[in-house]
Amino acid sequence: MSNLNIDLNRVGAKGALAEEADGKWGMVIDQDVCTGCQACVAACAMENNIPFVMEEDAAYGRTLHWIRIERFWEGEYPEVRTTPYQPMLCQQCGSAPCEPVCPVFASVHSQAQELNLQVYNRCIGTRYCANNCPYQVRTFNWRDYAIEPFHANDFDGQLVFPLHNQFNPDVTVRRRGIMEKCTFCIQRIHKAEDKAKSEGRAVEDGEFTTACAQACPTNAITFGLLDDSESLVSQLANHKHGYRHLEEMNTLPRITYLQEG
Amino acid sequence: MSEKISRRDFLRLASVGAATTAVLTGCGPASRYVQREPYARMPEYTYNGLSTYYATTCRECAAGCGLIVRTMQGRALKVEGNPNHPVNRGKTCPRGQVTLQGLYNPNRVRGPLQHARGEALYDANFQDAQPNLDWEAAIRVVADALEETAGVAFLMGTASDHLFDLVSDLANAAGASAPIRFSAGSMFETRATLSQATENLFGRAGLPYFDIANSDLVLSFGANFLETWLSPVAYNFAFGKMRRGNPQRRGHFIQFEPRMSQTGSKADDWFPIVPGTEGMVAAAIGRLVAEAKGEPLPRAFASVDLEAVTSASGVKLEALAQIAQLVISAFAPIAIPGGPSLGMSNGLATAEAVLSLNALVDNFGKPGGVFLSPLSPNQDPDGYHRPASAQEMADFIDRMKSGEIKTLFIHGVNPIFELPKSLGFAEALANVGTVISFATFPDETAVASDYVFPDHHGLEAWGYQRIATGAMQSVLSGLQPVVSPFQDTRATADVFIAAAQLTGGEPARALPFNDEVAYIQSKLANLVGQADGSFNAPEINSFSAYFQQHGGWWKNSAEEVAVDAASALGRELMASQAQFAGAGEFFFVPFVAPTLAEAGANKPWLQELPDPMTTVMWNTWVEMNPETAHELGIDNDDVVKIISEAGEVEAPVYLYPAIRPDTIAMPFGQGHTAYGRYAQGRGTNPADIFGLLFNEAGDLTFAGMKVKVEKTGRKQPLSRLESRIGVYGEGMGEEGH
Amino acid sequence: MAVTSGYLGSEKANAEHHEEEHDPRESLMYDPRPRGEMNAMVMESMHTTSWKFWVVLGVLAFLVATCFFYAWGYMIAEGLGVAGVNRPAYWGVFLVNTVFWIGISHAGTFISAILRVMKAEFRRPFTRAAELMTTFGLIQAGASIFMHLGRVWLAYWMFPIPNERQLWPNFHSPLMWDLLAITTYVLGSTMYLFLPLIPDLAMARDRSTGWRKTFYRILALGFRGTEGEWRHLTTAMNIFAFAIIPVMFSVHTIVSWDFAMASRPGWSSTVFGPYFVLGALHSGMGAVAIVLVIMRATMKHMDYFIRKEHFDALGKLMMIVSFTYAYFFFNDYIVQWYGGDKWTDTLLHWLEEGPMAWMFYQMIAFNIVIPFLTLWNKRVRTTPWLLALIGGLINVGMYWERYIIVPVMLSINRMPFTWRLYEPGIEIYLTIGTFAMFLLFYMIASRLIPLIPVWEVQEGQMVHSLRKVGKAHVPTVSEFE
Repeated sequence: MSNLNIDLNRVGAKGALAEEADGKWGMVIDQDVCTGCQACVAACAMENNIPFVMEEDAAYGRTLHWIRIERFWEGEYPEVRTTPYQPMLCQQCGSAPCEPVCPVFASVHSQAQELNLQVYNRCIGTRYCANNCPYQVRTFNWRDYAIEPFHANDFDGQLVFPLHNQFNPDVTVRRRGIMEKCTFCIQRIHKAEDKAKSEGRAVEDGEFTTACAQACPTNAITFGLLDDSESLVSQLANHKHGYRHLEEMNTLPRITYLQEG
Repeated sequence: MSEKISRRDFLRLASVGAATTAVLTGCGPASRYVQREPYARMPEYTYNGLSTYYATTCRECAAGCGLIVRTMQGRALKVEGNPNHPVNRGKTCPRGQVTLQGLYNPNRVRGPLQHARGEALYDANFQDAQPNLDWEAAIRVVADALEETAGVAFLMGTASDHLFDLVSDLANAAGASAPIRFSAGSMFETRATLSQATENLFGRAGLPYFDIANSDLVLSFGANFLETWLSPVAYNFAFGKMRRGNPQRRGHFIQFEPRMSQTGSKADDWFPIVPGTEGMVAAAIGRLVAEAKGEPLPRAFASVDLEAVTSASGVKLEALAQIAQLVISAFAPIAIPGGPSLGMSNGLATAEAVLSLNALVDNFGKPGGVFLSPLSPNQDPDGYHRPASAQEMADFIDRMKSGEIKTLFIHGVNPIFELPKSLGFAEALANVGTVISFATFPDETAVASDYVFPDHHGLEAWGYQRIATGAMQSVLSGLQPVVSPFQDTRATADVFIAAAQLTGGEPARALPFNDEVAYIQSKLANLVGQADGSFNAPEINSFSAYFQQHGGWWKNSAEEVAVDAASALGRELMASQAQFAGAGEFFFVPFVAPTLAEAGANKPWLQELPDPMTTVMWNTWVEMNPETAHELGIDNDDVVKIISEAGEVEAPVYLYPAIRPDTIAMPFGQGHTAYGRYAQGRGTNPADIFGLLFNEAGDLTFAGMKVKVEKTGRKQPLSRLESRIGVYGEGMGEEGH
Repeated sequence: MAVTSGYLGSEKANAEHHEEEHDPRESLMYDPRPRGEMNAMVMESMHTTSWKFWVVLGVLAFLVATCFFYAWGYMIAEGLGVAGVNRPAYWGVFLVNTVFWIGISHAGTFISAILRVMKAEFRRPFTRAAELMTTFGLIQAGASIFMHLGRVWLAYWMFPIPNERQLWPNFHSPLMWDLLAITTYVLGSTMYLFLPLIPDLAMARDRSTGWRKTFYRILALGFRGTEGEWRHLTTAMNIFAFAIIPVMFSVHTIVSWDFAMASRPGWSSTVFGPYFVLGALHSGMGAVAIVLVIMRATMKHMDYFIRKEHFDALGKLMMIVSFTYAYFFFNDYIVQWYGGDKWTDTLLHWLEEGPMAWMFYQMIAFNIVIPFLTLWNKRVRTTPWLLALIGGLINVGMYWERYIIVPVMLSINRMPFTWRLYEPGIEIYLTIGTFAMFLLFYMIASRLIPLIPVWEVQEGQMVHSLRKVGKAHVPTVSEFE
C-alpha cells in the first residue's frame, strides 16, 4: 500500500481529516481579463485527448469539455451586460465531495500532488461522483466517441482514424462508460517531477504550466505551486479580489477566481 | 548553399533558445538536409517517449502567430505558442490549437487529381477521391498553363508569404498579372478601409497597430479586436495587460456597436448605437474633448453638430460628455475603428474620424497610442501589399467573365464560399479555361476546379510569412515542417519552381532554384548580418537554421514611425450617417464566428467550441432582440428567413438580449456545401445575401443592409452549451431565477 | 376521483357497511373446508392453464427477450449514450426503477414478516404472493442498478474480492452500503420465501407425478410433517421473521442514503430514510392489491382463498400507510422549504412551476389525495377492481415520486449554467423489460409453486372456530403457539 501514495484513511473522509494546508498545485483565474475566447477549452481538448460529441449529443448536454466558460446576462437592454466570463473546471478540492462516494476508489485523492485523481481503468461508471460534484465539472463518456465510424476513413473495410494521430501518448484515451475530468494536466506535473527528481531538486514554480494556462491569450489563468509563498499563484490567491466558488460547502477548492475591478 | 550539413552539426548550430525550456530544433523529419541513417541508430527526435518541439507559424489566419509544435515519433501532438514570438508571446487562440485537426483531418485532398468541375472530392460516405495523376503530370499541367503567360492569374490567401513572393516573381518574369490576395477574413476586417484611412492620415498605406496594452482608456467603435480582427491573440494579450498590467490603474474600455460582440461583452460601458453612426459619435467626442480642453477646435471636429449626433446615434449628450471627460483625464486614451462599423457606406469616414480622435489626444507613436505597423523585413518599402478589397475582387471577377483569364491558380483561399454570392465568382469560373486549385482540403473551390494539386498543410510546410500587424516591431515569421507530409501533397512553391524550370525562358530564369527551401534562403540572404535582429548569424545556412529554430526573425525594438498629428486634424471630416441598401426593417450585422472564422468549419473541435456569446455549437443562428422577437411571435429555435436585396438565407433564431431591437446579427463561418464531413451541410452562410455595394475604400458594405425577416414555421433546436433554464429562467415560472 | 364520487358520503353505503360486519362466515377463517379438498384446489389452480395464459406468457417472454436482453446488450455495446442520461442528470430512470422495485419488494416482507409477528390473521392467504413480489422485485432492482453502470462488465469490482493489488471497495461510499444491504435483503428474503414454502412443496410432492414430483421432491428437502420438523421450521421462520424486519427497514433507508448522503439541493434531507421506507410500503401495498385482484380473477379457486375481508384489510393498511407517507412527504418538503437554502428554494420552485410540475401534482394526487378520499369507504375497499385501480394509481404516483427525486431534482444544481432536462431514451424499453420479466417470473411461479400457503390457511382455520350462541355465531380463537 505504501507506494501507492493514496492514504485510504483520508480518501473519502470529509471534515476531520480534510487537508489543513492550502494545497500544493493551484490556479487563479482572473475574470477581469478572461475574454471567453475558448482557447483554454481547445487547448485542453488537444492536450487531453478529449473527444468531441457532435451536434446532437452536444445539444443534449453531453459535451466532454473539461473546462467550460460560463456567462450569464445581467440587466435589461440597453443596460444589459454579460457577467464576467467564468471558466469552470475541476476545482481540485482539498475535501472533495466526489471522492467518498465512489464505490471502487476510482475517484481518489493523491497525497503526492494533493489533487483529485480519476483512475480511468478503475472506473465502473456509477456516475455518483458527478452527481455529488457541486461544480458539475465531471464529464462522462456516454459513447465511444473517439471511434465512431463517422470519423474514420475506410481502407478496404479497415477503419482508419486519422484524427487519432494527434492523440497525446501521455494521456489515456477513454472508452465508453468512464467518468473523466480536469486533471490539472497531471501528465505535465509528472514530467516536471521526473525531471526534477533526476536533477535532485524539487519541482519549481513556473517550470511548466497546464495547457489552458499556457494557451490563454490574456494570461487570465495562472497555474503554479500554492505552497510556495513566492509563487505568483499563491500571491494572486490572496488577492483582494479573490473568491472561491461555493466556499460555503467547505470543499476547499484550489482555484481562486478574481473578480472584476 | 547546397552543401549538406549533418543533423548533428545542425543541432549544434541550433542551440537551445533562452526563454523556453523546450528544446527547439530547427529542422524536422521532413528536412531535406538530413542524412538518412539506419533505423537502429535512432535519431534523437524519434526516441521513444521523448518529444521534439518545432517552431513554426500558424496558418489558420493571416495574423501569423508563432507556434511551437510538440511532436513525437513523427506525429504532431500539441500546438503551443512560441513564447519569444513578438505577435503572440507564447499564446494561442482556439483556431491555432485545433490546427492539428486540420493536419489530421479525415477529409483532405489525397494527392494530385483531375476531375470534372463540380464533381465532389469525396463520396456520400465522405471517403476521399483517389488521386488520378502523379506529380510529374501535375507539374506538366502547370508548366503548360504557364506557357501562355498572358492569360494566367493567381488568386491567393490574405497572408503575405514566401509563396506570394515566389508567384509575384514568377508573374513578373512571365509578364502575367500580379497575384491577387483575398479572404473573407480580410473582407470582414475591412483591411482596405483601414489601410486607406491610414494612408489618408499618416501618408503611408498599411495597417495601424493599436497599443492597447499601455492604454488606460480604450474606445472601440465596433472593432472586434478580441475575436478575429487582424491579430486577435496579440490584442487579447494586450487587453490582459490593459486591464491588469498596471496595478495602479485598471484600463477602462468602452465599446460602441449595435450588437454586443464578444469584444463588447468585456467593455465597462457598452453603447448600442444605431449602426452607421460610429464615425459621428467619434467626431462628437472629439469636439467635446477639444472644447473641454479649451483648445481651438481643430478643423476635423469643427463642423460636428452634437444635437444631430445624439439623435442619430441614440447616445445621450451626457454620456458623450462623460466619455469626453474620461478621455481628458486618461493618461493614454486610444480609439479603435474596425469591424462592421467600417463595412458600411461611410466606413472610410468612420475610420478617419476615429483615427482623428487619436490625433486629437496626440497618441500617435506613443505608448498606449496608435502606431503604423512596421514593414516586415524584406518587404518592398514602396507599398504595403494589402489584400484585395471586394471592389478589386469584383474587378477581377469581371476579368474572369470577359474570358481574359485562361488559367486561374487558386491557393489558400476558398472564394466560392468566402466571397459574397452576388459577386458571381462561381458563375465567372465558367469563362475561365483551366482552374487549378492548390487546396489542402476538399473545399467548394477545389470542387469547382479542373485540377486539384494539394499543397501541404501549414504544419507540413516550409516558408515565411510577413506580419502585417500585431507587433510593434518588424517581424518575419518562419515556417518549417513539423511532420512529414501526411498525404501525397506537394508544396505549391515546389510545383511552381519545377513548372517554371520545365517551361524554360523567363520563368526559369526568375526561379533558378532547386526547391522551395532554396528560394526561401535566397530571400533570407539579405537579412544575414542585419543589426538589431532577434538573432544573428554569419552566413545563410546558420541563419536559416536559427530562423527555423526561433520561428522567424524580428527586430528587437519597435520601429519609429513619424506621424504628423496636426495635419491629420487639419482635414475636413465627412462623418455622416451611413446609407443602407434594401427596404427591410432590420439592420443586418454579419460577424465572423469567433471560434470558427472563415476556414475553421472542418475542424470538429472548433465546431464543438461554444460561441463565446451564445454558446451555440455546430450551427448558424440569427440573433434577435427578445422584445422584437416577441412582437413578431418568434421564439428561440424558430427558423426564420432573412431576405435582402441580393438573396435570402434561413437560420434558427437565438433570442439575444444584447442587440438593438432594430438589428439582427448572424455569424459567418458555416454553410459549406463541401469542405469535408464536419463542415458540409451545417448551418447557412450570411455571405449569400450580401449586396454589391462598396464603400469609398472599395470594401464591401457587408453591414450596410436592411433586411426583412419572415417566419418559416419550422423549428430547429440549436445546440447550446448554456442551460436555457439556468441562464434565461425558462420553465421556472413567472419570476425566473 | 370520478370513479369514487358515487360512494362519497352515501348513507346507503354506510348502512351496508354495518350490515356486512355481522356475518363472520364470510371470513375465510370461519369457512373451513376439508384439508384434502383445499389441497386439491391449490393443486388444480397450479395445473390449470388456458391458451390465454400461454399467449400472455409468450408475449411477456418476447418482451423480456427484446426489451430486456436485446436492449441491454445494445446499450452495453453502444454505451449509455443510447439512454437519456446527460449532464447534470447523470442518474435517470435506471435508478428510478431500482428504487421502485425495491419499494415493491417491501410489501412482501412487510405483509409476511411484520403481520406474522403481529399475528394479523388476515395475512394468511396472501403472504406467499407478497413474498414472491419481494424476490422478483429485488431481481429487477438488481438488474436496474447494473443497467445503470457505465461499465457493467466490471461490476464485480464492487465486491470485496481479495486481489494482489490490494484494491478494495470504498466502504465510505453509500453505493457500497447499498450493495451490501440489497445483497443481504435478497438472500434473507429468498430464504424467508423458501422456509414457509417447504410444507406446501411437500404437499405438492405428495400430489404430483412426473417431473413435477421430482421438482417438488428436491425442493421439499424431504419434509414429512413430523412434529420435530414442524418445530424446527417454526423456529426458523420466527428467527427469519424477526431478522428480516430490520433488514427491510435498513435496506430502503440505505437506498435513500444514496441520495441523502449527497450534497445536492433536494437530496440532502435527513428524513429521507423513513420517508423512503414508507414510500416503499405505499407502493408495495398498492402492488399487492393489484396482484391479488389479478390472481383472484385469473386463477382457479382463488375466490375461496382471497375474499372481500382481505381486500378490506389491505385497503385499511393502504390508507394507514398513505397517512404516514403523507406525514413524511410534507415533512420532507416543508423542512426543506423552511431551510431557506437558495438552491433548495430554486429547486422547489422548479418542481412546482417547471416543466415537470404536472408530475409533481400527479404524485400528490395519486399518493395522498386519492387514497385519502376513497379508502375510508368499505365499499371501495371491498370492490376488487377499484382497489386494484387505486393501488395502480399509488404505484404511478410513487413512480413519479422517484422520478422527481432522481432525474428531475438532478436537473437543478448549484451551477445554473448546466441545468438541463432529462428525457428517457432506451430506458423506456428497459423499464418495459423489467416489468415484463417481473410478470413473467410471477406467471411461471404461479404454475410451479402454490401461491396460497395452504398450510397457513389450514392452521388458521384450525384455531378459528365459530361457536353458536343462540342465533348468533361467535368467533373464537384458540392459542396455537
